[in-house]
Amino acid sequence: MRLYSLLPHFTRWGRAAVLAGATLLLTGCDLNFWRMDGHQSTIVVNGPVARSQLDVFYTTVAVTMVIFVIVGSVLAYATLKFRAKSSEDEHAEPPEQGHGNPLIELSLIGASVMALVIIAIPTLKAIWFTYDVPAEEKANAYEVNATGLQWWFRFDYPNEQINGVGPLTTSNELVIPAGRPIRINLRSNDVIHSFWVPKLAGKVDMIPNRGNFIWLQADEPGYFWGQCAEYCGESHAVMRFRVIALGPREFNEWVGRQMEPARTVKDTGDQPKAQFASYRTDWKRNEKGYSGKFDLNPLDAWRAHQEPEKHENAALIAKGKELFQAKTCFSCHVIRGHMVGGSSAYPDLTHVGARTTIAAGLLENNPEQLARWITHPNEVKPGNKMYVNGYLANNIQLTPDDVSALVAYLSSLK
Amino acid sequence: MDATVKSHFTAKEEHAPAKSFVFWRPTAKTGLVSWLTTVDHKRIGFLYGLFALFFFLVGGSEALMIRLQLMVPNNNVLTAIQYNQMFTMHGTTMIFLAVMPLGAAFFNIIMPLQIGARDVAFPRLNAFSLWTFVAGAIIVNIGWFLPDGPPITSWVGYAPLTSKLYHPSHSTDFWVLGLQLLGVASIAAALNFIVTIINLRAPGMTMMRLPVFTWMTLVTSFLIILSFPAITIALVEVMMDRQFGTNFFEVSNGGMPILWQHLFWIFGHPEVYILILPAMGIISEILPTFSRKPLFGYPIVVFSGACIGFLGFTVWSHHMFTTGMGTVATAAFSLATMAIAVPTGVKIFNWIGTLWGGHLRMRTPMMFALGFIWMFMIGGFSGVMHAAAPADAQQQDSYFVIAHFHYVLIGGSIFALLAGIHYWFPLIVGRQVSDFWGKLSFWVIFVGFNVTFFPMHFLGLNGMPRRTFTYDGNLGWNTANFIATIGAMILGVGIAIYFGVMIYTYFKGTRVGRDPWDGRTLEWSLPNPPPEYNYHVIPTVHARDAYWYEKHHREEIAKETAEHRKEDEAHGGLHMPHQSIYPLVASTGALIGAFGACYHDFAVAITGGIVLLAGIYLWSLEGNEGYHLHLDEAGRPIEDPHAKH
Repeated sequence: MRLYSLLPHFTRWGRAAVLAGATLLLTGCDLNFWRMDGHQSTIVVNGPVARSQLDVFYTTVAVTMVIFVIVGSVLAYATLKFRAKSSEDEHAEPPEQGHGNPLIELSLIGASVMALVIIAIPTLKAIWFTYDVPAEEKANAYEVNATGLQWWFRFDYPNEQINGVGPLTTSNELVIPAGRPIRINLRSNDVIHSFWVPKLAGKVDMIPNRGNFIWLQADEPGYFWGQCAEYCGESHAVMRFRVIALGPREFNEWVGRQMEPARTVKDTGDQPKAQFASYRTDWKRNEKGYSGKFDLNPLDAWRAHQEPEKHENAALIAKGKELFQAKTCFSCHVIRGHMVGGSSAYPDLTHVGARTTIAAGLLENNPEQLARWITHPNEVKPGNKMYVNGYLANNIQLTPDDVSALVAYLSSLK
Repeated sequence: MDATVKSHFTAKEEHAPAKSFVFWRPTAKTGLVSWLTTVDHKRIGFLYGLFALFFFLVGGSEALMIRLQLMVPNNNVLTAIQYNQMFTMHGTTMIFLAVMPLGAAFFNIIMPLQIGARDVAFPRLNAFSLWTFVAGAIIVNIGWFLPDGPPITSWVGYAPLTSKLYHPSHSTDFWVLGLQLLGVASIAAALNFIVTIINLRAPGMTMMRLPVFTWMTLVTSFLIILSFPAITIALVEVMMDRQFGTNFFEVSNGGMPILWQHLFWIFGHPEVYILILPAMGIISEILPTFSRKPLFGYPIVVFSGACIGFLGFTVWSHHMFTTGMGTVATAAFSLATMAIAVPTGVKIFNWIGTLWGGHLRMRTPMMFALGFIWMFMIGGFSGVMHAAAPADAQQQDSYFVIAHFHYVLIGGSIFALLAGIHYWFPLIVGRQVSDFWGKLSFWVIFVGFNVTFFPMHFLGLNGMPRRTFTYDGNLGWNTANFIATIGAMILGVGIAIYFGVMIYTYFKGTRVGRDPWDGRTLEWSLPNPPPEYNYHVIPTVHARDAYWYEKHHREEIAKETAEHRKEDEAHGGLHMPHQSIYPLVASTGALIGAFGACYHDFAVAITGGIVLLAGIYLWSLEGNEGYHLHLDEAGRPIEDPHAKH
């Protein structure tokens, strides 16, 4: 059968060139993307909600694939079989002028409806299952409040009240107990955001003046990537977060540490003077902010972050604390126990050193990236409030030594 | 004979007293003035097409910028703001300024020809629609020339991002008012098409003999007049919030951002069908012509089209499955959305039924039409996946959705529109595009399109959210993004070939005679390009594929035509309307008024309003003057003793 009538009439060389080009294009790329096993995969999942959603997806894929194969084969067959093969064909007497066949048409409608019923039943089941914590699990569910702000997430733990302060608050890294349903109240104070941890659950929007919630559960302890999924303005793309699921004991230990006020590094006396470090300053806009090895075992990386650094420089940290106050950082950011100031409209930094990421899940939490974030906020996250009209809010000026001290101080807040 | 087709004007009206210079009616048939004041539906349609194709290229360039930025992780081709501007304007441009007006171009040029009419029902209103569309397009794009650039609110403009607090720039005001003007243009045009189809059908052209493209024009027009009021209200509310400090969406005063989403999608989902139904109509014309047999199951294709239009109003909240609507609402919208798959599937079955047993001539329009069926099938299947709300919770606002709607909007609408341009090009221009270049452009576009958008399914399932100006390299998105960008470039080359060949053919292509494709519907009975009056004798329709019937009953038709020509002549010949300056004046007033309103300059705004009102008022006073043509049996003009030129 000649297929050429489908193609433009290339010369032999033209056809060879097209084939060669296509082969080069296909072999030149590392074609592994079809595995879809990335950190934000919706296919390789770790919780009952995401699994239920995945099952529905697979049902739709199975049904549509069967239909595609059947309808596609008929279409391909009809195209090839009834194609005019020569110009005599084209000018032959027209074929029979049939107008349709109601029996075939109606039975195809019936078949389509049946196919949809196959999809509709698991869909309905999953809508109810994924909506809220199952009734028998309600008592066991752990409650968290998540608030979206341009462009970061605040997490409050209403069950963990700190005397005289209110609920435990953290930002951008949500720590939850594994193996237990989590019910998260979703709020927003500015525009619409959306809470999405693909491996644990599909997204639910955080809408101002509307009380939404989502439930999810991590089967095992793990480290999960999340991202805002509703366009929320300039830096929407870099509004990310993490969810860290821990076993019950480890979770309780974490809560215990977090309830404490900010850590103060005692000056042991054997460190004579502040040793200033110098950090890279030639950061390009939108440069990547993580190292490759961080990905290999992020949960262990998180655990490592809980421990204080080995060689802390108490004098430098003390200087940093002073600067945090002097440079008015404290007027926005809360560091509970160290100074009075700040508000919940800005990320709480009481235990910032114990997080694996900064700048809303964007940069790996290490001294170099901290220094970058402090000195180049607008190149990292354009439009953020730390950066107003030219340089930092309140016209803050930082020398390299200031940066070094601030970095040391923030890193020490385990 | 149907009275509505007959001219109600008698020869007397030509001798009405001469009016003052205010009512100047241009009579030039060529030149700039003739185009600016034209009331000929073919010229208006042609202008719609030119503007739409211009904006199609603008929107395409914006898409290429987007793909360039996402080619590699942490890229720096665009800043965050520039990227957000690109996707906002890409969506707005492609939907409102490219695909919709391209559909309107076909409605204008083809529909009156298909029903055997001499023009649309309200030719001046038609011109007003065109120029108001142009005014709206200008206003929407003003942002490019402002210091802050175009808006960054995305094409859906979700409140409260559109509030003054987040976007104080005037470009958002221009966007709001521009869309408002485009809505006026669309509603005016839709009313015109509805009246035309209901009232100006040739005798014998019953509703169930209407060509499917005309049917889809009718359904689409109803969708437009029923859905645009919703966005009109929503846009008025945003405008009030921004201009007068009202409190529809202002969060701090208790406004409800979710309200915008409901209003927007009550418009937005029918809008999707406004974009795809004309495409389905075009495909339903091309497949029978190139299969040389009638459409399989015409009544059910028509009925399913109407059914899609109706169901289109019942599913808006499937764009909002993640907004926390609760179980019952989610289930209801989920099932309603699945239900739409049935009439859509029916169309595909019937198109295949049309091919079955035909003599398929693989010309370029047929290639695009077959490509449409394949691509639309894929887009339809991913649509069913979204309809299942739990699966959609993962897919919503991810690249999976981007893949889905580009499969139905490019693979669907655009492929069909490109097919339609090829198909009707010989009729409109009198020249035919070479089959080699046509097929070459088809294959390059087809390959480029799939290479661009197929990998996006994987990106979405792998968790890449849409509307993100950057991504990190450790999430498994690099290869697919790179391939997509290469695909976009191939697609760009394909589009360049397509339009390059079109432009060449317009000026230098081979001339073809009447009915080059062995057509089935009435428009092919006309010489190409068709004369200003379309039909020198209004045809009488005896069968569904009217022209096919004519070709097989030539003697009967010739006799009938001769009789009707005599009747026409007895009624004073063929009445033609004069051109009019007032549609353009009125639209210019709207343009000026919108400028003034955006800048809070009430003097300018009121001036614009006065010009608009004056234009409409004078237009209604200038009367329905015209002139009469007298044509012989072959359509040649004959001298008329009463004519006043």
